Amino acid sequence: MNSVLIANRGEVAVRIIRTCKKLGLNTVAIYSEADKDSYFTKIADHAVCIGPAKAEKSYLNIPGIIAVAKVYDVCAIHPGIGFLSESSDFQRACEEQDITFIGPDANAMDLLGDKARARQIMIENSIPVPPGSDGEISSLEEAQKLADEIGYPVIIKASHGGGGGGIRIVFEKKKFKSEFLLVKQEAKAAFGSDSVYLEKYLTQTRHIEVQILADGFGNVLHFGTRECSMQRKNQKLLEEAPAPFISDVLRKEMEDCAVKIAKIVEYKNAGTVEFLLTEDGKFYFMEMNTRIQVEHPVTEAVYSIDLIKCQIQVALNHKFALSQDKIIARGHAIECRINAENPAEDFKPSPGKIKELQIPSGFGVRVDSGYVRGDKISPFYDSMILKVICFGQNRDEAILSSYHALDELLISGVDINSDFAKAILTHEDFENGKFYTKWIENVLCAELFG
Amino acid sequence: MELFKEKIDNPKGKANEIKSPEFLTCQECGKEILKELVHTNFSTCIYCGYLFRIPAYNRIEMIADENSFVEIDKTKKSNDPLNFPDYKEKLKIAKKNSGLNEAIICGTCSIEGYKTGLAVMDSYFMMGSMGQVVGEKICDLVETCIKKKLPVIIFCASGGARMQEGMISLLQMSRTTIVLNKLGDAGLLYVSVLTNPTTGGVTASFAMQGDIILAEPKALIGFAGPRVIAQTVNDTLPDEFQKTEFLAKKGMIDGIVERRDMKDKLKKILSLHK
Repeated sequence: MNSVLIANRGEVAVRIIRTCKKLGLNTVAIYSEADKDSYFTKIADHAVCIGPAKAEKSYLNIPGIIAVAKVYDVCAIHPGIGFLSESSDFQRACEEQDITFIGPDANAMDLLGDKARARQIMIENSIPVPPGSDGEISSLEEAQKLADEIGYPVIIKASHGGGGGGIRIVFEKKKFKSEFLLVKQEAKAAFGSDSVYLEKYLTQTRHIEVQILADGFGNVLHFGTRECSMQRKNQKLLEEAPAPFISDVLRKEMEDCAVKIAKIVEYKNAGTVEFLLTEDGKFYFMEMNTRIQVEHPVTEAVYSIDLIKCQIQVALNHKFALSQDKIIARGHAIECRINAENPAEDFKPSPGKIKELQIPSGFGVRVDSGYVRGDKISPFYDSMILKVICFGQNRDEAILSSYHALDELLISGVDINSDFAKAILTHEDFENGKFYTKWIENVLCAELFG
Repeated sequence: MELFKEKIDNPKGKANEIKSPEFLTCQECGKEILKELVHTNFSTCIYCGYLFRIPAYNRIEMIADENSFVEIDKTKKSNDPLNFPDYKEKLKIAKKNSGLNEAIICGTCSIEGYKTGLAVMDSYFMMGSMGQVVGEKICDLVETCIKKKLPVIIFCASGGARMQEGMISLLQMSRTTIVLNKLGDAGLLYVSVLTNPTTGGVTASFAMQGDIILAEPKALIGFAGPRVIAQTVNDTLPDEFQKTEFLAKKGMIDGIVERRDMKDKLKKILSLHK
């Protein structure tokens, strides 16, 4: 193993390149025309323009990426986050060319990518899922009957959906028929399959996830919980580890459940099991993400571990030398995602050139940035500029540390959401754990913007 | 915390030796592109869609099902029937440049399972010009297809008749025309695909004889070149003169097909023929 191609861009690419460098691995970056001169292209050993700005022609271009990998004779490809990271086709294309794909096997991706099938498998293995269909539900009559049984609101989801697409919440019976048919139609058009499933829509839930790592030798370790309820329109804004305001017993139950799930699907490499936690302390399996997550640094902070390095080692078939009892979290970490957007104008993206960039630092402060001063935030991709991750001995310390780090952060040329993040950090609901996944939309935005 | 005992095996100084990659420059937009990226993009510029010239075997790889192509007349090559000055030398160079014995490759193959005869001209061999052997190879292919009851597809790319073979090369126009008429009489389909450039004696014979004539975008298709015509008629010609799009408007071509869609289009046509 001596070289890795990073099939991604921006902050994620920088993150992966840095670990590769630390391990003495050569790096090959691919970039689209829009990312010419981007920071990640400069720190990689080699950078190749792969196509125009449109992701379909660049970051999603499987034959193109494989061709570059062959020319540069790389040993492995890291897909990063988003783009091709959950594409089993890409994993198979790598395998065919004898290139190590740093991520899970295609079969696990296919299984977990089919949400209805995943739900069915969880039910068969007594993993708690929200009340709803056993798996895919095809007939309207059957679906209508089930919806009436479990009670409204219900949520209809496309089995192959993702990124917030192919989901509809139905609040009353009379709208069920039209919405059900609509989701099926949308799913067929967007994901090529009209398979859908039904769940009870749970309100006032928290989003808590468990980081797992499996070495492919049957050993699965977890790296604790993350609290990710601070989100807007399914986009996370702030995450923390470990998840606060839950009992140690409940936390252990969730962690054990995540490990069990990874074993059921014979998972390998890093993955995240997402759960919904209700007010009365019940948790349900939502889905499993078959890749590294944006918020992985909070876990890295409390476990003092480099998860990208772990991914590479698992891909190299290295076996765990530690057991779960040796893996101990300490302290608390918070990540704030800083995006080029204007919260006051309904979070409108604010692409443009970064004129000034002053990054906070200090003990326990980590900043993962995809950009440097003078770089341009492209309108073609997501608007995340950087992440500020602060570590403290406890949650209070991490909150204060985060607040002051954001205070020191200075970015000009584009609008950013750092004041909004500070508003979260200083809100008493956040401090007291009185939040849920719709809290930002229902409470904070209402308070700040009316 | 060290989670693994094993270390990443990456001895210092043994870093990957990356050979210097080859880049192509697009003639249309001027951008540099890694050669392999052009290849994976159907020999099309990833930025502006410009169509790079394709060697015949690459075209066959793009169109025929894997390992289905069976070549005929592979070793046939031109000699110098008229003892034309420098022709022998030119043939040698052409062979070296293209790696081929002649300007056309013929054989049978399947396209998405549909069996067909396939001929592909190669402009890297003396600009795909038609001499005795090109004509002969087309005749052999068509005769074979008549026997086997197969349709024929010809990808044209040619500067015209090969002047070094004089009248013999012009004779190939009638030879190919006659043999393709026989194919039609046998009730078999002939699809002609015009690529950049299709000109001269090839246009004036088999290229325009297709039951269905397809063309790649922006290809130059004509008999005499635009400069000659402009001088002859003593007038300025329309911008798109002799280009695929212009000819399609005038009804000379049945369809303009992008390179990436070509295999699928041919499959559909063959499925109808069956």
